[in-house]
Amino acid sequence: MIGPKPNLAKPLSLRGLAKRYATADGRTIEALLPVDLEITPGEFLVVVGPSGCGKSTLLNILAGLTSPSAGEAWVGDIRVEGPDIDRGMVFQDYALFPWLDVIGNVEFGLERKRIPRRERRGIAMRYLEMVGLTDFAEKRPRELSGGMKQRVAIARTFATEPSIIFMDEPFGALDALTRRYLQHQLLRIWQQHRKTVVFITHSVVEAIYLADRVVLMTARPGRIKTVLRSNCRIRAIPPRTNSAQSSAGSTPIWTKNW
Amino acid sequence: MTEAAAPAGAKPSGPAARLLRSTTRLLPYLYAAVGVVTVWWAVVLIAKPHMSLLPSPLLTAQTFVQLVASGELLSHAAYSVCRVLAAWSLAAVVAVPLGFAMGRWQRLERVLDPVVELFRPISPLAWIPLAILWFGIDEGGKIFVIFIGTFFPILLNTIAGAKNIDPVLIRAGRILGCTDDASLFRKVVLPAAMPQVIVGLRISFGTGWAAIIAAELVAARSGLGYLISNGMEVLRSDFVLVGMVTIGVLGVLFDAIFRWVDRCYNWMGE
Repeated sequence: MIGPKPNLAKPLSLRGLAKRYATADGRTIEALLPVDLEITPGEFLVVVGPSGCGKSTLLNILAGLTSPSAGEAWVGDIRVEGPDIDRGMVFQDYALFPWLDVIGNVEFGLERKRIPRRERRGIAMRYLEMVGLTDFAEKRPRELSGGMKQRVAIARTFATEPSIIFMDEPFGALDALTRRYLQHQLLRIWQQHRKTVVFITHSVVEAIYLADRVVLMTARPGRIKTVLRSNCRIRAIPPRTNSAQSSAGSTPIWTKNW
Repeated sequence: MTEAAAPAGAKPSGPAARLLRSTTRLLPYLYAAVGVVTVWWAVVLIAKPHMSLLPSPLLTAQTFVQLVASGELLSHAAYSVCRVLAAWSLAAVVAVPLGFAMGRWQRLERVLDPVVELFRPISPLAWIPLAILWFGIDEGGKIFVIFIGTFFPILLNTIAGAKNIDPVLIRAGRILGCTDDASLFRKVVLPAAMPQVIVGLRISFGTGWAAIIAAELVAARSGLGYLISNGMEVLRSDFVLVGMVTIGVLGVLFDAIFRWVDRCYNWMGE
């Protein structure tokens, strides 16, 4: 059974994180003005803002894919200096490896974590079960719909048991119904696993629905305008005990209460 | 629910179905062969050319059987195939790593690209005189010509494959634990570029196979090219035609092998 493990979620501190680019004609562009933010373990933080407000830049810095021009980010007591499998990421365009089948994609990070082959398969199947895609384990990503691809990507990210998960407009490319469905399921999974999540979107509705806290950013130059606490979710989602029970049966939790 | 989940593929499987499918694939070749032989026979019957100019399909078939029985045809074909295989493998060993390096390091590509563009339009056949001067009429000269001919298609396709990898896959690979260049290359770059590399290997084998005949026409004592040019010298056009048919059949055969390999490694779908 997949259960929350103690001590997995870690706090994330952003201390004066900033990014500026030099353009070809010698000007500098302030992509992100200094950001200070404390994200508590297990928090679901949503960053919302228009395109060009530096929210993707911020996420890439936190994930270690881009280095900041100033400031630093800390995960627990470790400074972010490059990508690490302890920090997972879900991309807008899924980023599934097309040469691997669905289960191969979920196993990818597990193999990098040097988990023995036999255990890998079992873990990957459990996470595919979590997103209701066990029947598609042997399929190639190109055979799946957009929503299913993103569910595979979510399974792939959660399977490596990172302490923090970054999500870069993960539902941005999906139609409204699928989007709503995945938001709902993401919250269920998150409530089971209690990871720290930093989620980026340009949809205010999505932000309010998902978040514990919403960070509102403005563009040119990118900076934080307001930080809001959201309590919409508490009304939207039934008590947690419910989801814990439904995940104990063989029925995927997806199919319940939907 | 918007999630359309089509059930598993509807293709019939099993040995019988597979045999049927491969027979169906062979049919067009059969039609082509029948068509060519019909036209050929019609020309022979109507124009009645001298035997040394255009022998009948029947006579050519008899010569074919004779050459097969004496082992000559097999030996010539084996010479040609081995030369192409040797030169092509050598080209692959050099061009694939170089192509990956050029595709992933812009600086290297900027330096080497003009050199490649300069040499690329030169037909491998233009290298035959120099090849003979430098390496003589032994194996070295021919392998050199085929190497030149196969090198560029492999190199250019590998560069394209390595360059056009979706950047988000690289980012996903790094996030999922490929933190050093070696593992990123092995787990992401290599499989992502593989289909294009195989295209390069397949195309180059075709150009190599065409070029070996030209090289053997000029300077050789063996090989299918030699069989053809010798046929001309001794006025045996049936030898020439047997050589040509063999070249065609072997060419199709190798292409089929590559397509099969391609199907195993190509994740882009049919």
